[in-house]
Amino acid sequence: MIAPSRFRKKILFSLWLAVLPLAGCWDRIEVNDLILITAAALDKPEEDKGVELSIQVFIPRGGGGEMSGMKTEGSGGDENTFVRSAVGVTLADAMAKLQEKLPRRIFWGHNEVLIIGEELAKEGFREHIDFWMRYTEPRERADVFVSKGKAKEILMLIPKIERNSSEVLRELAEMRTGIKVTVKDLAQMLTGESGTAALPWVEKLPSSNEEKDEKKSIGYIYGTALFKKDRMVGWINDRVTRGMLWLRNEIETALITVKPKEAEEGLVSLNLVKSNSQLIPQIQNGKWSMTVKIDTEVDVIQNTTNLEFTNPKFLQEVEKAVAKDIEDRERMALAQAREWNVDIFGFAETFHRKYPQVWKKEKDRWDQIFPEVEVKYETKVKVARLGLSTIGTTKPEEEVKQK
Amino acid sequence: MSIFRRNRKWLDQSRQQNIPQKQAKEGLSFDLNSNVQTLQSIYRDCSDVVFHHFNMMGNTRAVLVYIDGLTNIEEVNQHVLAPLISENHHEQVISIDTMREKIPVSQIVEVDKVIEAVEAIANGNPVLLMDGQRQAIIFGLGKWEQRNIEEPTAESVIRGSREGFIESLRVNTSLLRRRIKSPALKMKSLGIGHYTRTEVAIAYIEGLANPDLVEEVTQRVQRIEIDGVLETGYIEEMIEDNPYSPFPQLLATERPDVAAASLLEGRVVILVDGTSFVLVAPITFFVLLQAPEDYYGRYMIGSSIRWLRFLFLVIALLGPSAYVAVLSYHQEMIPTTLLLTIAQSRERIPFPALIEALILEITFEALREAGVRLPKQVGAAISIVGALVIGQAATAAGLASSPLVMVVAITGIASFLLPRYTTGIAIRMLRFPIMILSGILGLLGMMLGVIALVIHLCTLRSFGVPYLSPIAPLKTRELKDVLYRAPWWKMDTRPDPANKGSIFRQSPGQKPNPIKGDEQ
Repeated sequence: MIAPSRFRKKILFSLWLAVLPLAGCWDRIEVNDLILITAAALDKPEEDKGVELSIQVFIPRGGGGEMSGMKTEGSGGDENTFVRSAVGVTLADAMAKLQEKLPRRIFWGHNEVLIIGEELAKEGFREHIDFWMRYTEPRERADVFVSKGKAKEILMLIPKIERNSSEVLRELAEMRTGIKVTVKDLAQMLTGESGTAALPWVEKLPSSNEEKDEKKSIGYIYGTALFKKDRMVGWINDRVTRGMLWLRNEIETALITVKPKEAEEGLVSLNLVKSNSQLIPQIQNGKWSMTVKIDTEVDVIQNTTNLEFTNPKFLQEVEKAVAKDIEDRERMALAQAREWNVDIFGFAETFHRKYPQVWKKEKDRWDQIFPEVEVKYETKVKVARLGLSTIGTTKPEEEVKQK
Repeated sequence: MSIFRRNRKWLDQSRQQNIPQKQAKEGLSFDLNSNVQTLQSIYRDCSDVVFHHFNMMGNTRAVLVYIDGLTNIEEVNQHVLAPLISENHHEQVISIDTMREKIPVSQIVEVDKVIEAVEAIANGNPVLLMDGQRQAIIFGLGKWEQRNIEEPTAESVIRGSREGFIESLRVNTSLLRRRIKSPALKMKSLGIGHYTRTEVAIAYIEGLANPDLVEEVTQRVQRIEIDGVLETGYIEEMIEDNPYSPFPQLLATERPDVAAASLLEGRVVILVDGTSFVLVAPITFFVLLQAPEDYYGRYMIGSSIRWLRFLFLVIALLGPSAYVAVLSYHQEMIPTTLLLTIAQSRERIPFPALIEALILEITFEALREAGVRLPKQVGAAISIVGALVIGQAATAAGLASSPLVMVVAITGIASFLLPRYTTGIAIRMLRFPIMILSGILGLLGMMLGVIALVIHLCTLRSFGVPYLSPIAPLKTRELKDVLYRAPWWKMDTRPDPANKGSIFRQSPGQKPNPIKGDEQ
């Protein structure tokens, strides 16, 4: 082959340049041609067939100048989203129907919240999650919630703070007072050993008296909805949810108020610093048992008793009381879970991991085994700090019990 | 090859027009008149050449030839003409030795060729022709107007020398010599340009600079056949390794301290008469990212500023491209809150992000160029208008969204963070193709652009030194002056170009370590 001459090189180079624009910006789309979905809700439609998809859409009010940012940001109360719904035989079909009603292309990329209505949740929603996991646009890290009543109504609420009601939910989930479940977690739970799932339960906060407008409220996380397979079997309130979090090793913030034995009156409030829970399964002579080992560190943040905590005797009392409180919470959660026979604590996985052979045989009997599993608690509590003052701050010295 | 030969031929003709070769090769004759006639025919129609006829010591006819304005007339009158006219000597033959005795001028040279005389005259040295002498006598009394040594405006520092090179080669070499007093500092002189006959000096330190490198530089400079050299840029483009590159392969600096430091690193400095810039060769890309102050300030601060520069190099190159790519292809990559704000501000913009970015970037480039070119008195006006154009007014007029204004502004600042203007401008220029690529192909296009750029940088050489060394090829020993600026007590070894001699530039282990504790 003859080496290309300089002239031919030039031609080749310009041809190569000409190839570039052939790509033709084929999937280029401007931000102002997009419908930015901030949240989606799935409900059971009235026709009793298929699914109703509602989306919360951000309204870009084109202020242009720098004022636009200030007007909408953080002020809340202002309506900067709207909700639109469509019914389809599948979720994807519903989306296509929705697209007909919107002048811009639907963009799922920033949808961070998915709410499932109570009715749909009770009937099962497994097939809709497939859309989330399969389609390229939606985020698998979106948070999933179950709402009391219609999910669409939660989307329509207008919060006082945060830019829209879905953002409120997302931030609440982020605080970890309840559980936080993403679409990916949900898919994992649905395909897990026990086939159970838990999702945060959302209720509408009753609007305060001064606020006449019913819409000016928020949805907030008040407990956990429990699922067997993909059907909701019931829900537990926030108190029981906390017990569940201890068992699941998901507890991040907790405030525990106890009354130590020695104190005649008053209470001690402690803040959780860090905690680690461990599930240790055991099968002995065909008897299944589970040890819940918890290692916790707490700080004293309020002390209304007359005890002086520099005395280690009293401190041990407090630690004991805290351990008992934690165990009580766990027992409560376990009792509730057993009522519906849903293993939301991951007992099934731990048994599977330790006794794979036994599990293979007994797997199908898990529903019978789970209520019978004996649960033992081993809770270790350590008070790490006594707070800024060690002595009684509001009581005269003679009242403080030193010994 | 035929084109090349034709060029040569054309060149010879032009040279003949310049000085008649026949005359130039000739020696001077004993006859004063014929000598004067030769010179006069060479300097035909040159009103600034003075032929001063006089009688030397009353008996010998002589002519003093010089160019008005290039010669120190006072000195000539006082120290050359006065002793020659007044003193009445009996000696008939005046040789150069008697001249040296009688005339209080330190530089006296005797020449016997016409061409040498012409060169001396061109350089401002008066030439004395005498009747009955084959030799002409040259007095080193050239003097012309020149700028004072000032602070270089393009490379200012807070700490460090305030001296800058000026347009006179001799002053420039003296500035170097004042910094490096060792006789190992050599300066080879060459004349380039058929008409300008510009003096070019190649400076290097013997023992530090690789002799092959010096030879190569000399040869490349000597090869230049050109009408004139008015600035180092002429030479730079004639001797660089890769003529098809936006990146400078020689460092142009106005600072004698930078030139001296380069000499000490074994590099070669090319000084050109008539410009205040000198060239340094060979260099690497990272040399272009170093500011003199990196070495004068504290090393920790120098190192962190260096990293700041690396960061902003990337921003200057990719800032608007990333904005365009992400905004038109990968909206999911932007944090939600930011995207909502961008969506709001873009609501009124009629253009796609790429067009919007191009409009604003080109406007910015225009403003920058106007700022450089405009007279200083109008400069303030430009900055006010510029602030309005890129900023409030552009957003209010609905031409650009405020996030983009922000991106353009940061990019603008970023490119000025590069200490060498030539590097900055190359990066600014490359920003546009990458921007278009990312407008066509998104982040994929941007990365394609970056990859092409890296490949190009890897192929570059500056006098045989790989442009990206010591990163690619990796030379770990030299990273001390690239990734960070090592403290001076750690800078024990020289960079690579010097590797012919000793690699150590100072004795190791000089970290200051005062005795602690037991002094009372």
